[in-house]
Amino acid sequence: MFDDPLLLARLQFAFTAATHYMFVALTLGLAPYILVAQLRAALSGDRTRMSAVRFWGGLYLVNYGMGVLSGLVMELQLALNWSGLQEMYGYSFGAPLALETMTAFFVESTFLGLWIFGWDRMGRWAHLGCFAVVTATAYMSAWWVLVSNGFLRNPVGFEMVDGVAHLTDPVALMTNPAATMAFGHIVTGALLVGAAVIIATSAHHLRRGNDPQRMFSRGITYGTLVMCLLPIPVAAFGGVQFELFDQAPPTSGQTYTAAEIEAVEAAGDGVPAVVGGTADILMMSMWGLMFFLGPVLLLGRLVAHFAPGVRRMRWALYPLAVLPFLPYLASVGGWVFRETNRQPWTVVHHLTTADAVTPMSPAAAAVSFGLFTPAFALLAATTWWLLVRFARRGPEGGPLAEHRDDDSAPAESPTSVPSF
Amino acid sequence: MSDVLSSLSSLLLALFVVGYLVLAGADVGLGMLMPRVARGPDQRRRVVAAIAPYFLATEVWLVSLVGVLAGLFPSVEHHVVARLWPVLVALAAGLLVRDAGLWLRSRVPGAGWAALWDGAVVAGSWTLALSWGWVLASLIAGEPGISLFTVACALTVALLFALRGVAFGAERLVGESDAESADVAARDTRRIALAALAGTSVTAVAALPSGAGVGAAALVPAVVLAAALAATAGLSGPMLSRHTSAVAISVPGVLVAVAGGLPLAAVPDTTAVLVWSVLAPAIPVMLIGQVWLYRMTRRPSRSPGFFA
Repeated sequence: MFDDPLLLARLQFAFTAATHYMFVALTLGLAPYILVAQLRAALSGDRTRMSAVRFWGGLYLVNYGMGVLSGLVMELQLALNWSGLQEMYGYSFGAPLALETMTAFFVESTFLGLWIFGWDRMGRWAHLGCFAVVTATAYMSAWWVLVSNGFLRNPVGFEMVDGVAHLTDPVALMTNPAATMAFGHIVTGALLVGAAVIIATSAHHLRRGNDPQRMFSRGITYGTLVMCLLPIPVAAFGGVQFELFDQAPPTSGQTYTAAEIEAVEAAGDGVPAVVGGTADILMMSMWGLMFFLGPVLLLGRLVAHFAPGVRRMRWALYPLAVLPFLPYLASVGGWVFRETNRQPWTVVHHLTTADAVTPMSPAAAAVSFGLFTPAFALLAATTWWLLVRFARRGPEGGPLAEHRDDDSAPAESPTSVPSF
Repeated sequence: MSDVLSSLSSLLLALFVVGYLVLAGADVGLGMLMPRVARGPDQRRRVVAAIAPYFLATEVWLVSLVGVLAGLFPSVEHHVVARLWPVLVALAAGLLVRDAGLWLRSRVPGAGWAALWDGAVVAGSWTLALSWGWVLASLIAGEPGISLFTVACALTVALLFALRGVAFGAERLVGESDAESADVAARDTRRIALAALAGTSVTAVAALPSGAGVGAAALVPAVVLAAALAATAGLSGPMLSRHTSAVAISVPGVLVAVAGGLPLAAVPDTTAVLVWSVLAPAIPVMLIGQVWLYRMTRRPSRSPGFFA
């Protein structure tokens, strides 16, 4: 099995993309919450309220680091291992990715740098503005990536010129239902990932009676509302995409005849259907579970509000610690389902995955796989360990926690006070 | 219309290459020389603190470069990937290791943890610089494979990264507590410039018989490089090195454009119009962010921050 470069390249991309998405989902899920928390802090002008922003922002940054690392490698891997796709579909599939890198990621990363280093160097409104740009560009980034990904599922708006796809209709590219519905699905799903992490973290601290400026009570309230409101749109945006699965894309027939397409699909891709099927069941059952959890959480929240005596039963918060597993498993399952379901095509009815992969020797594919897969596993595990550690430690010990002057040991001479 | 946008797109590609080399050259180069300019954990922390505000804003130039290749110049991307696959894998690995070091070094207190990730920063920076050297050398030569030219050119490019790093360090590491680091960096500016000048000479001599770096077009950039290095090695030294090192490191990028024979095809109209109409309104925001970050972080902060 491991002497097949195609299979190795596919597995490597699956690991990279799944890892990348888990960190991206939390980025998208936390950003709006932090933005609103910072807006409230800026409006009140109260510095102590910033400690919630610093706490959630610290988790955001630890998570973002691994998101960027995996994203950088994923972009390079797409170029290196999938040159058949790039060569034929650069002008259509690659164009939205080019726009993602320049108009979204470039701006996002620069303004995140401004936010990280701007705490004591700019006014509170400018600092808030930087995070607003970070949030907006994070979502723009997701949008452009899904325009590219949706094109693979439902290729639209191009014509073949000498074996290269030339874009003819950018509007069709951007209004592709395989992209717009996926964007709705991803955004609502990512907000659920964020809500679950916020609930689990808040529950941990409430269980210990730690609730500075009521930041963790607010966390539970926000998370509960999201858990009640969003599972339905997640399912709806996901469900409408099933219709696309059975349709031939409008451009079908430009590259292969109907008979050839049938032959390719009959040959399959060598990966047992049970992989996609398991992912599908995993995704459905996890979202299904969350359907019921939202109202349960809401009930608990209301009871705790009207019958404060219940709050002494802190053990009831214990199970919430595992809540994030649900949306994470659902997200990864969803992606595995979406991507395996498209096989044996990379671009449906136009380019098979076997033709999309870079022609490389088994040894080269094995070296690339052996280099990046363990490195990713190690870095992702380290990042999750750090996230859990900082989430449990609370606002006092976060990576963005404020260092006051009196924190430095009196024995230290002023010259050894570290600078950023 | 299509001619104008195609030319603009080629300029954009060149801008991202040169922009990356000039801007990221500083943080990658200083990462390479961390063992040389920093003694002890505190000085190493200062070095990472000097790099940290910039690396987020400099590596986006590389990401955008790859994006432009993917969307506007797929034939160039194919040309580069087909010839340089193993080096590009090394480049990606170097980037991963260095960035992991920067993101993780301050997350856990303790000398061992910091030393581990400092090591990752140094190893990753060297891998990045040498891979870039190899990529640029192979593209200038126009053919893959090992020759005296590619080896000399690759090593010279790595030296140009190092020169950019010490020039940056001589400026950024000045402070009461570690004037020593800044002094080491300043002294090394002359030495590294001299070594890079020697490397440039060997590269130029190696280019003569093989005809690599074809003819007169390559002559002007090569002379500019030699002049910038000679000035840094001699009279001006560290004083103007911020500018001379920037000129020097941009030359290999320019040489790829004039001598590399890249298969730059005209960008099809519809794709060009889509990309430029979305990109144009974003350009001011991109520039404001970059300029603002550079201006804001000119003076180091007094308190410890996220990265160091």
